[in-house]
Amino acid sequence: MRRKTSLVLLALAVFCAALAPLVRWYAFPRLAKIPANEYQTMVLEAKNATLLDYGTMTARTVPKVTIVQTLKGDVAASEKIEKTADRDVVVWDGLSYIQGPDGKMVSRVPERYIFDAHTQEPVHATGESVDGDPVRREGIEFKWPFLTEKRDYEYFDAQTRTSNPIHYKGTQDFRGVKVYYFEQTIPWTKVAMPKTMPVAGITPETVARTGTTRWYTTVRKFWVEPLTGAPVYGEEIHQEELRGGTLLGGRAKVTAFAGDVKMREDYVEHTVALVKHNRTLVLLMTSSVPWGCLTLGALLLALSLWLEARGRRPAGPPPARAPERETVTA
Amino acid sequence: MRALIAAATGLAVALALVLTLSAIGTPAGKTSPEPLLTTVPPHP
Repeated sequence: MRRKTSLVLLALAVFCAALAPLVRWYAFPRLAKIPANEYQTMVLEAKNATLLDYGTMTARTVPKVTIVQTLKGDVAASEKIEKTADRDVVVWDGLSYIQGPDGKMVSRVPERYIFDAHTQEPVHATGESVDGDPVRREGIEFKWPFLTEKRDYEYFDAQTRTSNPIHYKGTQDFRGVKVYYFEQTIPWTKVAMPKTMPVAGITPETVARTGTTRWYTTVRKFWVEPLTGAPVYGEEIHQEELRGGTLLGGRAKVTAFAGDVKMREDYVEHTVALVKHNRTLVLLMTSSVPWGCLTLGALLLALSLWLEARGRRPAGPPPARAPERETVTA
Repeated sequence: MRALIAAATGLAVALALVLTLSAIGTPAGKTSPEPLLTTVPPHP
């Protein structure tokens, strides 16, 4: 019986010991991924921002500019790309919709972002675009990979359509969550006019004919939870100018937009709660389960060996028999 | 010999479990019917 128990314990010990590396290095990269049908929204606000009034072509301070960002996974498109990409792919259709204080549209920029569901590496396929222009991303966008490292990453900038380093600047605590702080500065760069302009009748082509060009600079800041790679907070010090041409009436430049764009408070709270929940799942697969299994495996093995040793211990000497009394004959 | 069989059984079960779970994975689901927003949502 003891022998049988030790064999069962040995099987369980090997099961646990094998499970530890398998969960960490085989299951985790396959199971931890962005769902193809993800749908999420984000609201950012720039208070006391500067905004161009296209009626008078002058910049004015407005109480608030709101940016509504939606990301929506296209499941059919991701399944189609997966057939040739040979990995799990996510296709996000995004829209950055900017609204002025009067509720009117300031700009709307759609984009399609295709990436590896686990590593976040960009996947190049037909349809990858920003505002209708085909692009080729070389960096991440919106989210960092699972198990984010303390190093610089290439981050795609949708305005300039280029990928540039976003620098790791240190580890911080953000509302009880350990985060890595990243920062990227895009210097003044000439960028394309948005395809959809805020005033009817004005198109990028009509603006181009006046010789006026659009320039942009930004300082992008992200606080990223390293296990999930999800930003819990983001800010952007964003400036846009129109320069030169006949549209400005002889002025060299005019501010089109300037503001410190921050996540709205209710979205910050929602994101922190969501990331805390997802962080626990990642932690289970990368740390709790592997280390727990390894410890349990070692304990079971020790118990199995102990039982086996006890089973093999030779039996004690037989009880001493009372010496037979010698018969003495007289 | 019996110890070897017990160890192999434990290893085989662990492999089978992890391979099966990884192969099943998570279902892709369907594309959300929600639109790309052009209005400011009141809450997340």
